[in-house]
Parts: sequence; structure tokens; C-alpha cells
Amino acid sequence: MVNYATAAVEKAGVMRGLVSTNRVPLGSEIYNRILETLYDEAAALDERRFDDWVAMLEEDLLYTAPVRLTRNGPNKDRDVMRTMMHFDDNYQSILMRTGRLSKSAWAEDPPSRTRRFVTNTRVAECETAGEYEVSSYLYVERSRFDVAHNETLSAERRDIWRMVGGAYKLARREIIVDQSTLGMSNLAIFL
Amino acid sequence: MLQKATFTLSDGATLDDLVKRDTNEVMLRVMSDEELYKLEMERIFAKTWLLLAHDTEIPKAGDFVVRDMGEDQVIVTRDRNDEIHVSLNVCPHRGMKVCTAEAGNAHAHRCIYHGWAFRPDGSFIGAPVEKEQMHGNRMSKDQLGLKKARVQVYGGLIFATWDIEGPSFDEYLGDMKYYLDQLFCRTDSGLEMLGPPQRFVLPCNWKIPGEQSGSDGFHTLTLHRSLMEGGIMGGTAESIYDNAPGMYGVDVSCEQGHSLRCLEAAQTFKMFSDMSFEGKSVEERLSMLPPPGITKELIPQLFKNLSPDQVEQLATIPPQVGGLFPNILVAFIFAPRTDGGSSGALALHTYVPRGPDKVEFVNFIFAEKDAPEQVKRDMLQNSIQQTGTSGIIEQDDADTWPQIMRNARGVVSKDITLKYQALHGHERPEGWKGGGLLYPGFTKDDTQWNWWMAYYNLMAEA
Repeated sequence: MVNYATAAVEKAGVMRGLVSTNRVPLGSEIYNRILETLYDEAAALDERRFDDWVAMLEEDLLYTAPVRLTRNGPNKDRDVMRTMMHFDDNYQSILMRTGRLSKSAWAEDPPSRTRRFVTNTRVAECETAGEYEVSSYLYVERSRFDVAHNETLSAERRDIWRMVGGAYKLARREIIVDQSTLGMSNLAIFL
Repeated sequence: MLQKATFTLSDGATLDDLVKRDTNEVMLRVMSDEELYKLEMERIFAKTWLLLAHDTEIPKAGDFVVRDMGEDQVIVTRDRNDEIHVSLNVCPHRGMKVCTAEAGNAHAHRCIYHGWAFRPDGSFIGAPVEKEQMHGNRMSKDQLGLKKARVQVYGGLIFATWDIEGPSFDEYLGDMKYYLDQLFCRTDSGLEMLGPPQRFVLPCNWKIPGEQSGSDGFHTLTLHRSLMEGGIMGGTAESIYDNAPGMYGVDVSCEQGHSLRCLEAAQTFKMFSDMSFEGKSVEERLSMLPPPGITKELIPQLFKNLSPDQVEQLATIPPQVGGLFPNILVAFIFAPRTDGGSSGALALHTYVPRGPDKVEFVNFIFAEKDAPEQVKRDMLQNSIQQTGTSGIIEQDDADTWPQIMRNARGVVSKDITLKYQALHGHERPEGWKGGGLLYPGFTKDDTQWNWWMAYYNLMAEA
């Protein structure tokens, strides 16, 4: 039984960053290729090349963004609530979302101009050969219409990238946003 | 007696200038006026019943969540006697927040500033250094509790009001209770909230989403066109305006400003399946197309908890979307999945004012408590994919409302009026069992105009 109560505390504590201790060192061939892939992905999304982005996704993809909750006292660090999410998607529903973006999705028509900054990338080997845990920081600047102020969002992303046919493909992504109340007026963009 | 006690803004505008009852128009400036906003906080948000939480969010003694009544923050708690309390999150000592977390469990809330402490029911325990009596000697401990709101739990939903002697909750719901029971009071264990609400802030006045929640069905055809393109609502992109899917039904409303759109199950069924409803009994129809959130196993509970007339309505023309005045949206939607399932999506929103030009969108997502875990999982996913932060339906709303807001500030634009002149007029369909104001046929402006009349009536009361 899942305990859905808002007041409940996830006893297991909060998973952040990397789980595996088998680190892939910064500057190594694998690290460089994965970092390059993250940059390519950010460019595909910023340039709205959604077909290119979907081609980087595995069909068993899970793509989620849990909500955060301000907590205090002994539970002050257990603030990731995985019962509720801002995104709860899989490969099929991502296709539904990108398909919609090519038709009458007024939320992105006219589109936002976005800039995704990916930093603090850490990589570790998963137990399955060819799979890598990748934790990165994401900062998004989003310009809407002729509004002079950008909407912004900062988050940590906990990914699993899998080497398939000579390229890394995204199999898992958990986006841990920093705000408990988002200042971004919708998530019609991918993170 | 058209004249009521009312107000005049500093530029001379009166409530009757802003909400034009004779022509069914509302001036766009109501969306940006700061003076009006302050009056709304006093006359609406400090007066009427407001939705704050669900009792499944705080199942254990001492559990609490922090929520907002207008711009006043409150702590919603459960005490040892299983009673729910709503207390102002303001320390009566120096005005600090007594509770700095958004949720948790505490048998005493101790202010971090000077240490005044309060029980979950809001009563004052004491200040530190008891022998020095740091709460003074002029007021007794009984007088130093947190300010308490009046609470009502309905279908697990926790409502509160500052109007201690005002209208009862039943008076607030009025004729809508008959319909709302079909959504919130239909099973033995009721609904369960599937986690904390999604929260995000939009740069627009609370009334822009508020008036839409007064059952604006018509916008779906155009703003949510992608639902038709994606086949989710039936029809094709080319035939949207000819077929007008989801537009015909019975809109129900009342003078309190609440409303719900009831849509024919047979029509909904046709969108998803080739089978026909014709000649089928209530039980058969319920089992062919259970209302959103209801599994076949839960159908007998509908007969137990609702009247035969209410069950028949659920099987024939169930209430699906609408809102409660002033700031609640209700969405009980059929949501067919690509894998053939259709467990539906159940979501409520509150639109919490954050100043004249900001609103917080709070999205509460539910399933039936007794539904299997897999159904809850499906419904959570459906609700997240369709509503709220990333929902493909409400992304479009969230992008539209701020642009109305921008217009509401223009010195010329603000005098443009919003038109609610496509009216049907109350008409009771033959054999209709429920009460209220009824608008059969194509969804029009009647229910939204009733929302504005509820607004008018509250704003006219000093």
C-alpha cells in the first residue's frame, strides 16, 4: 500500500545524486561522450527538433518530476515527494506530447525561446553493462512572447543513459525541481 | 430593490459599472484593479467557504498541512479526537508564522521566534520560562490561542470560512449538493488524495481562471483543439465545429455561483467504443462505461450511497466538469488511454489569489480510496498528463490567462467588456430529477453569468 498522505514522511529518506559508487572519472572517454550527449539533447530541445530528441529516447523510458515540499525538524531533508509529480511520463506519452506540439498546442504556439544550461555532471556505472547513471544540474531560461522577464527553473536530473548502437540513449530521467511552488506558469517544455 | 449596499472606487466606478447586470457584461478592468482586489479579499475570501485540503492528506493525529485562505495562511490539523481544525498561521505574540513547514506531524506547534506554543486545535499551551509568565497578565491563556476558522468536511474535502455566524455549508452548496454527492459521496470509503497538490504561480488575476471554472464549456472547442486532433474527445480536426463534441448536455447551476456540466454518457461512450447504450439497464450501462474513477467492483456501492435517481443520472448524464464559487474547478473526466484502459482522471483545483496580478494554481488529484493500487496509479498518471503543471489540456489555459491579464491593464483596453450574452435561460428538461438552474442543449454563458452574479452579491455586502 502506498502512503499518499501529504503529511507522511518517506522513511527511506531522499534519493539524490548518484547511487552507484563506481564513478566514471571526469575527462574519460565515456564521461566526455555522455556530456556531449547531454549538450546535444539540450540543443535539440532548445531548437525544438523534437524528432531528434525522441530519437535519443529508449522505448522503456520513464520520465518523472516529483513535487518538493518544505519540511522542518528531523524530516527537513526528506523533501522529495515521489507520490505526486509534475511529469509522470513514459515513451508513449512523450510521443503524445511531441505529437501535440506539431499541431494546435497553443501553450507552445507561438513557441517559447528556451536556453537549457547543463552543469555539475557526474557519471557512474550501473550494474547492467553499458548503462550509466548521470546526475546533472539544469537551469532553464524561458522567454515567452514579448515579455521582458524570463521564467526560470532550476533542477537536478537523475538519468540513466544506455549505450545502444554506438549512441547513448535516455532510459530514465527524474527531474528534482527546487521549488515547491513552481514559478514557471506551465511545463509545456521538456526538462 | 435593485440597489444594495455597495462601494465606489476612487475614480467613481461602482459595482454596477463594473458588473453590468442589465446587459450581461463585465468590465475587463476588474481583472487588474488593485482597490477592487482588496475589497474582494475582505468581502469574498474572508467571508465565503473555501476549499483547503482533503482529510486523507492528514490521516493521523497531529498531521498538518499549511494552506491559504486568500492571502491569509492557515494550518489545517487533525487533533487526538480526530477533529479537523483550521487556525491562522500567525503567532498572536509577534506575528511570526507558527508553522514554517508545508506539511508534517506535530502535537505542538512552537513558534521559532519566542517559543509560544499551540496545540493542533489552536489553543495556547504557554510561553517558555513559565514562572515569568511571558504571555503577560492581561489576557488569559484561553484568549491567546490561534485565530480559528469555522470548518466543514464534505466528502473528505476540508472547507473553512472566517464568517463564523454566516451561511451554513449546506446553504453555500445549495442545490448543487445533489450533483456533487454523485462525485464526492458515492462510495463507502470515498476519495483519496494521491499525494500533495501540484502548485504553481501564474501571472494573472484569480478571477480569470475563476470565471472559467463557472463551466466555460465553449472554450474547449478552440483552445483545447488538440484534444480533438489527438482523438481524445472524438471527431477529427476537420469536423470540430460541425460535430462540437462534448458541447451538448445539461449545464446545472445555482444562485450561489456553482455549476457543473452534465454530459450524456451515450455520447461519451460513442467516442470510445462502437457499442451502443440502447436498451441497456442502469446497471448494464454503469458496467459498460463506469463513471471516471469507478471500477466494476465499486458499482454496488453507488446504489448504497446514492439515491436511485442520482445513480441513474451517473449512468445516463453524469456531472463531469464545473466549479464551485469562488475559486474551485472540478474535473471528473473520462480519459481513454492508448493501451485501451479508461480509468479516468479526478482533479480539483483552487485558484488562490497572490495579489491583483498573480494566482497560485493548486492541483489536487484523487482516486477512489478502495480502488486497486494499479487503478490509482493509472489515474494519477492520467491526471498529471491532462491537468495541472504539465497537463496537455491545462498548459493551454495557463498560457492564455496571463495574456488576458496583460490586456486588463491598458487604459483603453480595461474599459472593454467581457460579454456573457449567449444565454439559454433556465429550462427544466423533461423528467430531470435534480434541482437548481438548468440549461439543456449547447453549453452557453448562463452558468458563468451566475458565477458573476454570485460575485456581485458578495461584493455588494459590506
